Amino acid sequence: MLADLKSRAAQAVELAKSAGANDAWTTANQSRDVEFEHRDGALEKVKDTTSRSLNIQIYADGRYSSHQTTDLKPERLKGFVAEAVAITRALEPDENREITSRELFANRPENDLDLIDTAVTAIDRDRRLEWCRALDEVATGHERVISATAGVYDGSQLSVSASSNGFLGSQESTYCWYGANVTLKDEGERRAAAGYYVGGVHVSALPDAASVAGVALERALSRIGTAKGPTLKGAMLVDAQAAGSLLDRLLRPANARSVDQGQSFWSDLVGKQAFSKALTIVDDPLIARGLGSRLYDREGISARRLPIVENGVVRNLYVDTYYGRKAGMQPTTGSASNRVIGLGQHSRDALMGEVGDGVYVTSWLGGNADRTTGDFSLGLRGHMIENGQIGRPVGEMNVTGNLRDLFNRLELVGNDVYPYSTTLAPSLVFADVDFSGA
Amino acid sequence: MTIRRRDFLGHMAAGSAVLTIPTFLSGCGVQTATAISQATPENPFMTWFGVDQPTASRVMAELTASGADAADLYFQHTRSNSLSLEDGIVSKANSSIRQGVGLRVVIGEQTGYAFTEDLTLASMLAAARTASAIASGSRVAAPQSFDPLSAGNLYTTSVPWSDVGIDQKLPILKFVEEKAKSKDPAIEKVAVYWADADERVMIATLDGRLVTDHRPMTRVTVVVTAKKDGESQTGYSNIAARQEFAWYGEERLTKMVEEAVDRTMIQFEARRPPAGEMPVILASGASGILLHEAIGHGMEADFNRKGTSIYSNMIGKKVAEPFITVVDQATIPNERGALNYDDEGNKAGRTVLVEDGNLKSYLHDEISAKQYDLSPTGSGRRQSYKYAPMPRMSCTFMEDGPHTKDEIVAAVDHGIICETYTNGQVQIGAGDYTFYVKNGWLVEKGKITAPIKDVNIIGNGPESLKRITMVANDARLDTGGWTCGKNGQSVPVSQGIPTVLVSKMTVGGENAS
Repeated sequence: MLADLKSRAAQAVELAKSAGANDAWTTANQSRDVEFEHRDGALEKVKDTTSRSLNIQIYADGRYSSHQTTDLKPERLKGFVAEAVAITRALEPDENREITSRELFANRPENDLDLIDTAVTAIDRDRRLEWCRALDEVATGHERVISATAGVYDGSQLSVSASSNGFLGSQESTYCWYGANVTLKDEGERRAAAGYYVGGVHVSALPDAASVAGVALERALSRIGTAKGPTLKGAMLVDAQAAGSLLDRLLRPANARSVDQGQSFWSDLVGKQAFSKALTIVDDPLIARGLGSRLYDREGISARRLPIVENGVVRNLYVDTYYGRKAGMQPTTGSASNRVIGLGQHSRDALMGEVGDGVYVTSWLGGNADRTTGDFSLGLRGHMIENGQIGRPVGEMNVTGNLRDLFNRLELVGNDVYPYSTTLAPSLVFADVDFSGA
Repeated sequence: MTIRRRDFLGHMAAGSAVLTIPTFLSGCGVQTATAISQATPENPFMTWFGVDQPTASRVMAELTASGADAADLYFQHTRSNSLSLEDGIVSKANSSIRQGVGLRVVIGEQTGYAFTEDLTLASMLAAARTASAIASGSRVAAPQSFDPLSAGNLYTTSVPWSDVGIDQKLPILKFVEEKAKSKDPAIEKVAVYWADADERVMIATLDGRLVTDHRPMTRVTVVVTAKKDGESQTGYSNIAARQEFAWYGEERLTKMVEEAVDRTMIQFEARRPPAGEMPVILASGASGILLHEAIGHGMEADFNRKGTSIYSNMIGKKVAEPFITVVDQATIPNERGALNYDDEGNKAGRTVLVEDGNLKSYLHDEISAKQYDLSPTGSGRRQSYKYAPMPRMSCTFMEDGPHTKDEIVAAVDHGIICETYTNGQVQIGAGDYTFYVKNGWLVEKGKITAPIKDVNIIGNGPESLKRITMVANDARLDTGGWTCGKNGQSVPVSQGIPTVLVSKMTVGGENAS
């Protein structure tokens, strides 16, 4: 399979060159994905697929374009590539569009990232059904359950990239996720619902299915009786899972493209104490078995550890080759890998004790942020914190402010990392946050 | 068949040439479309995918070899193009071809699904065997041939996107950029993003139907960044439809540009409203996002057949004032959410969700319709051949009510009016939903006063419906390019509403005390 993809990628480079491209960067992809879903005691859905595609980036006469196809028949591909070159020629020249230079893909690390688990590729129907039944049994094990859906998702992906200036690389990984969604009867017509899924590159690292479903059921039970909380200014404890998505939102404009387009509140922050000293973020692509681990990025840039924020001081942004050249910034990488958040000393419960009174956020509902200004407003679900203890479940509330300002008021960081994400975040505590509710 | 398919697709690839240059067309040595249609007694879509009646029948037989209540083959070919203009130059283009067939077998509430991008008989049979593994019964009779249903005409184009070259599109991007730059000296950056697509779908069903649909789509977005006294603000606008190139008239583009510039410049003056509960006026058009989140998703019958929606036991009940009627209608010509047929091959139509204040009908796919013993509402949609269909919205809107916008504004002592939005979300079981307001205004003592920005609004679906106390007579569909996401699948949708008053919602704001 690897050999097939290598020759497919290399042939596409040759096709592009013979069609008149000065340079070409191609990626051949193949993936296998299997889904089993079980609902209320019966198998509901089985999906089993193998997919393939080819991506081609063309550089011709100072111009650039990108193309994808799933139609890989040789005679069709030839026409597709010829057309891709014609498309490129019809564009306007841009001196900043250049293929990734050799220096950026030289010295590629040779770490064994351990991204392939043969135990995942060996998962069969019986194993998936066994997990589904175990999840289902626990998830439906409460008198309030209206419906519970258990799911198992596993597969593998392989990609090979080749370029006209000598790049050749392949990346392969496996994955396995499982978990359940539970819907419970609440007051009136309201339902209390929640889900919990775990996943990773290796299956042996995952907690057993029954305990995962137990967390899903427990989370749904904790939502029963949810009511609107009060409008207040106060402390906010964000749990580790919800903290990951808040940090992703903070980091969304932390890149050269947003800066170049004048759409980033990170624009002038490199080298500055922009956030609380409690905040440290490192992009680390070289973590063994990491969900975002890689030896090179989408543009072929060799992977390396990249500090983004150290004790509140901005060290680097995500810089790809094009916007880097355009904005006069040295390329780092254009896309995130694993984001590792610096840990504090406290457990979640200890943080709750430190907070005393406030709001504990367990998940977000909608909301958005303006990349240019950092102004944000997010819906939330969670609990009140009363006397350092977890209190009544609340929902239908918003938290509103400015992201830069919010992360200046980051006071405490937990030691409890949520591991099933490419953003490895702990619980976070913020002071003086505006909540709107009743 | 194979040879004809190759020729036809070969023509397609050349015909979709970026530039309308005859040398390139002739360079591939392919026939014209006319020649192809003359050479093909089969349905032209069958020719397109290189599949004849016996092949489709053979694959369907394999798919249903272990039993099925329903089954379908969903062939899809989508050709998309995009262009980006940033800093005065169009220096990036993207094109993609996504082709494949999804194979689905349904038994009761069980679904087996597989797809392949390789449209050879061997690959399709292998995928059929994979999908059929969900079943353990006995073979059902597959049709020997499939009867083509008449094609719909909601978005017929005279010139397909494949025949529109980049040389025609570039001037539009330039026009939009120049227009935006000329509007205000504070504008520092203008970016314009173009997208067009031709999607061809052919669905063969176990009950012998053959449905074909050619679905065009296009969208232009303009993003404006302005700077005043060291402060930057960004705003945008877009227009989208199942339309052809000629739709992009100067007036339409100018209006879009003006909206983007207005939305950007007003932010220099805009502030956050105070935090908490207050009356909220939703301006006509894009505020249809309220309906999409507060009721639309909760009325999708997959959630209701499982009992997981807050609306599961509410059909026939009074949920709103008698002047409120909410409709999901796929048959509005050229709308982004329009569909001739849904992705299960059923005629798309008009479903009344709320009629005169009473909850009337869910949005059904075939699985839920069978369970409720109803006809499908033509709401089974999927993102692509890679996914099984499920109930989805199309164009969701509220009909006109008895009030006027002026009466509604005059009725509010202290609240806000919301005009533009970026996104929304809903929790199906609890019924809580949100939408994010990019631009709006304070309403004080019956008058629209100061501008506001960047607030999330949160409410509960059934409660909000009850709290819609006034509905104006200015209903309109929004022209923006809305995309709805559900269970990992995205589909294009439209939404609209007249100006309405919701008597109380929770508004994200500042200075909470």
